[in-house]
Amino acid sequence: MEGFDALTTRLPGSKGGNMNKGRGRLARYFFLALTIAALVILVIVLSDIVKTIVIAALLAYIADPAAAFLESRLVSRRAATLLIFLFLLLGTALCFFLLVPALGREIAALRAGFDSGEAVATISRIERTLEDSLGFLGVRNLDLVNRTQKAMVSVSDWMFSHLLDMVSLFTNLVIIPFIVFFLLKDGREIKKRLVHMVPNRYFEFTLYMLHKMDLQLGNYLRGQFMDALIFGALSMVSLWLLHVKYFVAIGLFAGLANLIPFLGPVAGAAPAVIIAVIDSGNLMQAVYVLLAFAAMKLIDDSLIQPIVVARSVDMHPLVVLMAVIVGGRLFGILGMLLAVPAVGFLKVVLSEGVATFRKYQWADT
Amino acid sequence: MKEVLGSLWANIFKKSGKGEKAVREVLRQMPMFKDLKNRELFQLERILHRRDYNVGETIFNQGDPGLGMYIIEEGVVDIVAGSERQQLAELKAGDFFGELALLDDTPRTAAALAKTPCRLLCFFQPDLFDLLERTPRSGIKILFNLARILGERLIRANESLQDLRKDGRV
Repeated sequence: MEGFDALTTRLPGSKGGNMNKGRGRLARYFFLALTIAALVILVIVLSDIVKTIVIAALLAYIADPAAAFLESRLVSRRAATLLIFLFLLLGTALCFFLLVPALGREIAALRAGFDSGEAVATISRIERTLEDSLGFLGVRNLDLVNRTQKAMVSVSDWMFSHLLDMVSLFTNLVIIPFIVFFLLKDGREIKKRLVHMVPNRYFEFTLYMLHKMDLQLGNYLRGQFMDALIFGALSMVSLWLLHVKYFVAIGLFAGLANLIPFLGPVAGAAPAVIIAVIDSGNLMQAVYVLLAFAAMKLIDDSLIQPIVVARSVDMHPLVVLMAVIVGGRLFGILGMLLAVPAVGFLKVVLSEGVATFRKYQWADT
Repeated sequence: MKEVLGSLWANIFKKSGKGEKAVREVLRQMPMFKDLKNRELFQLERILHRRDYNVGETIFNQGDPGLGMYIIEEGVVDIVAGSERQQLAELKAGDFFGELALLDDTPRTAAALAKTPCRLLCFFQPDLFDLLERTPRSGIKILFNLARILGERLIRANESLQDLRKDGRV
């Protein structure tokens, strides 16, 4: 508190109260701008570490209501955190033992390339059709079979390299749970200590802004997490019923991709359709997969989302799309996932913050 | 920053300290919280903020959005109103003010100034409501006591108004 207040004290040798106030305000804004610039540069330079912390913070934030519920039912915060943690570890272990072997087999199959003669024939047929109908535009020698083979190998290589990167694996398996545990247990205390550092004149305003941000983002993030889980499970079951190979990997990917507005559902369905065509050599299979994804999207929009997700961000679709593109550019997939809540956060700061700030009459201390 | 890091590295098996017991005793003496059990007071304690104010510092101004209630742990607070800052009340340790903000979002009807160095405990309205939703039994006790306090204040205000009318000042 004293650090902030020191910026508003009278500068030595200055004349007049108004000039001092103006200089003090200028110094304060300059210091604030410098701090924000330094933070932005730090975030970009340390983006890997920042991603780990952000993932851990998100997990803790999503699990916080559950911890609060357990805490209110005759259990201490420490015990509530341990219970949730054990539950999460159990879930992770279950996924690890059930899904990872299946995922590994599917990735290995992708690396080996497609071995179905029918698939090669189908792709060759598609290539001939394209060359015949679009030949006047100069479409020739597409070599779709080799290109598709290379694409599948590069995708599986990417997945393998990420799964088997021991350093990042250690980071994700050890550091993230460590951070999640302590954020879940002491998150409220940490927040209180940070608020304690805010000067008295901004105290109520800070609490109000934090509350608004929590309202705006909390329901959205938690709901999206549940939605991704449900959609991913539905995708896996649908693709398994349609006898589509690699249904585990594609289902997982579709669930995660569904988190990204507009682009996600398309990105989630595309690999399923491509794999269906390549594996079966039958275009009808692709139609069935498309219909399945369309049905799941309908169920998601009409049933799951209204119940599970509170779409409280309330932004124009164009803004959402731009945010997703910029987020992807800056921080990759994590950026695309967090683009909407990040812009929602900025929206709260700018609209609610400015409006509320004006309501406060700052008295001189 | 030391306090933030301290909370990260503190012994997780450490039991509550002397300072926290003192806060609980302050809460227990409040009419709003007198019926609460230890565990309920502990949960209440987790959502309150402790603030220190210097002499003459403004706690909130008249017209500010009402967001929380304050309990005086130490010091003296003046409640003033109007542009001339006419004193309406002087509150001491154990007293509380701003409780109307817990019920709605109307602006503050008076200003609160620290007459002496003060230590206040503050409840933020959304935090309290969140706690009340999670623990409805405690919520009923707190809201009932709050309603009783506001009822008593209304009765006293009516009596003061009647006295003023008798004296012909209104």
